[in-house]
Amino acid sequence: MDIIMQVEHVTRRFGVGRTEVVAVDDVSLSAAPGEVLLIMGPSGSGKTTLLSMLGGLLQPSSGRIRIGDDELTQLDEDRLPDVRLHHIGFIFQDFNLLSALSCLDNVALVGQLNGLPRKDSRQRARDLLTQLGMEHRLDFLPEKLSGGEKQRVAIARALVNQPTIILADEPTANLDSHHGHETMRLLRRIAKEEQRSVIIVSHDQRIKDIADRILWLEDGAFKNVVEMAADPVCGMSVDKDSAPAQVEWQGRMFYFCARGCRDEFLAAPETFVPAQAN
Amino acid sequence: MFNLAWRNLSQNRTQFLLGVGGVALALLLMLALDALLAGSEEDLVAYIEQSDADIFVAQAGVKNMHMAASAITWRDLRLAEHNVEVISASPILYTTSVVKAGDSDVLSYIIGFDPGEPLGGPGEVAMGTAVLDTDEVIIDDAVARSQGLALGDEVEIMGHTFSIVGFTRGLTNIVNSVSFISLRDFQMLRPGDAVSYALLDVAAGADPVQVAAAINGRNPDVLALPTAEFSREERQIIRDMSVEILNIMNLSGLLIGLAVTALTLYTSTLRKRQEYGVLKAIGARNHHLYSVVATQAALSLLLGFVAAIGLVWLLGQIIPLAVPGMGLALTRTGITRVLISTLIIGVAAALAPAWQLVRLDPAQVFRS
Repeated sequence: MDIIMQVEHVTRRFGVGRTEVVAVDDVSLSAAPGEVLLIMGPSGSGKTTLLSMLGGLLQPSSGRIRIGDDELTQLDEDRLPDVRLHHIGFIFQDFNLLSALSCLDNVALVGQLNGLPRKDSRQRARDLLTQLGMEHRLDFLPEKLSGGEKQRVAIARALVNQPTIILADEPTANLDSHHGHETMRLLRRIAKEEQRSVIIVSHDQRIKDIADRILWLEDGAFKNVVEMAADPVCGMSVDKDSAPAQVEWQGRMFYFCARGCRDEFLAAPETFVPAQAN
Repeated sequence: MFNLAWRNLSQNRTQFLLGVGGVALALLLMLALDALLAGSEEDLVAYIEQSDADIFVAQAGVKNMHMAASAITWRDLRLAEHNVEVISASPILYTTSVVKAGDSDVLSYIIGFDPGEPLGGPGEVAMGTAVLDTDEVIIDDAVARSQGLALGDEVEIMGHTFSIVGFTRGLTNIVNSVSFISLRDFQMLRPGDAVSYALLDVAAGADPVQVAAAINGRNPDVLALPTAEFSREERQIIRDMSVEILNIMNLSGLLIGLAVTALTLYTSTLRKRQEYGVLKAIGARNHHLYSVVATQAALSLLLGFVAAIGLVWLLGQIIPLAVPGMGLALTRTGITRVLISTLIIGVAAALAPAWQLVRLDPAQVFRS
C-alpha cells in the first residue's frame, strides 16, 4: 500500500529544564491514500500539537515527518508554506473563512496563492462549490451562511489545490447533528473517491463511524490503537481486531460486521469493491 | 490580494469612512494651508503683475514692495527714462496705511499715480473710472462690498477725505487691499522730492533683462528689475514669512495623517489577526500578507488624498464668498509636497502591522 504521510518517532517538547513539557512523545503513524484516520484523545493530550506538526506549522523536537517526497523536518522554514499550499488542505473547527470575502473568493484565493491565474482559480472554486451543493451561495459572505454551509466552503477551500492530505481539526464541533453527519460523509467520500488521506482530530464519537483507523492519544503518546474498517457490504464501521469475519481478496483485506455480509461479499466481490485507480 | 485588501478595508463602513476621512482631514490641513498661501501670493502680486510694466525701478537694495520702503529721485527716474529702449517711465508713490470707512479701518497699500502717465494706475477698473482727479480714490470692490461702500461715498486716507470714483477687482488679499489716489494728492499728504518706484515700458523687441542691467550699470543708486523678477522677489518675501508656519502645519498634518492611518491599519490588522493566521497556515507567505496591508494603506491614502483635493477645491469656492480677498490656489509644489508626505505616512503606517504579521504564528489557527 502507498503511504502519503509517514511520521516516525516524533517528539515535541516545550520549555526547558524544570519547566519542560513533552506535548507529543515518540509518536509514529502513517496515512495511506483513501484512508480516513481519526485521532482522538482527552483535552491536553497533544492532539493540537501533533496536528500542527503534521501540517508543517510546527517543527518537532525530534523525529521525522515525510509527506510524499518532502521530509518536513529537513525543510527550511521558508519552504514550509509551499508544502502546506501544495500538499495539505486544512479544515478548521471554526471554519475560519475570511469574513470580508464571498464564498467563491474564499476558495479562489487559495488557488491564486498557489499561482493559478485568477480566472482559472475562480472557475475551479466555482466547480468545487457546485459539487458541494453551494452553487446558490457563491456570492454570499460567510456571515450569511449556516454552519454546515460554512464547513462545505471550508472543505472546498481545502480541496482547491488538490492536496494529497486533508487535516481536519474538530470539523463537526460547531455543527448540529444533521450537518455533522453531512460533513463526515463528505470527508469520507473525498477520501475514497479522490484517494486523499483524511486525518481528523476530534472528540466527536460519531466520526468513528466513518474512520478507517482510530488512534487514541493520551499524554502525548498513542495508546490502544484501534484500527477500523468499513464493511464493504453494509458500510458499517468495524474494529479490525474484533471483526466477526474477514476475507482477503485480490491482495486486500476486507472486514465484516457479520458472516452474512461476508457471504454476500464472496458471492460477487466486484460488486462491492470499486475498481482501483491506476 | 487586492480584492482581499479592498474588502477588508471597506467591510466596516463606519471604520472605513473614519479612516479615509481622518486621512483626508490630515492631508487637508497641509493642502489647504499651502493653497491658502499660494492664493495669497497670487493676490499679493496682483498689482505688480497687472501693472503692464516691463521693469520696476526701486531704490538700490529694494527688490519688492511688501513691507518695503523705496525712494528714488526724479533724476533717477529721468536717467532710467533716458535709455533709448525705454518708451516711458511712470512714477508711483507707495505706502501702507488705512482706509477709514465710517468706523472701520481697512489696511491698504496706498499708491499715488499720475493719471497722465501710461503706467502705475490700476490695470483694470471694474466699475467707475481710472482717471483720477484731486481728492478722488479708487478702491477694490471686495473692500467696497465688505464695508458697504458705493461710488461717490467718502473714505479717509492719511487724514484726508477722498471720494470713491472707481472699483478695481482682485486687488484685495488676506493681508490688505490696494487703493489708488493721484500722485499730486499723495505728494500733498507726504511732501517730498522723491518717488517710490518707477514703472518702465520698454520698446517692443527689447529685452527687459538687458535694459534693467543697463540702467543698473549706469546708476548705482537704483535697482531696476524686470517685472517677472520683481514679482518673484515679492512672492519670495511671502514664502519666507510663511515658511515656518507652513512647516509646522505640514508637520502637524503629517503626524495626524500618520497617526490616523497607522491606527486604522493597526486595528484592522489586529481585528483580522486570526484570518491572517489562517492565510499563513494555508500557505500564504509573509509578502502576500504585507501586500494586503500595503494595499490597504495605499487605498486609504489614495482615497484620503483625492477627498482632500476635493475638499480644498470646495473650500476654494466657498471661502472667497465668505471672506473677500482670501483665495485658495492648489499648486503643483503643494500637491507634490503632500503626495510625498502621504507616501511617508503610508510606509510608516504599514510598518507596525507588518511587524505583527511577521510575528504571527500560523499554528494559532488550531487554538480557537
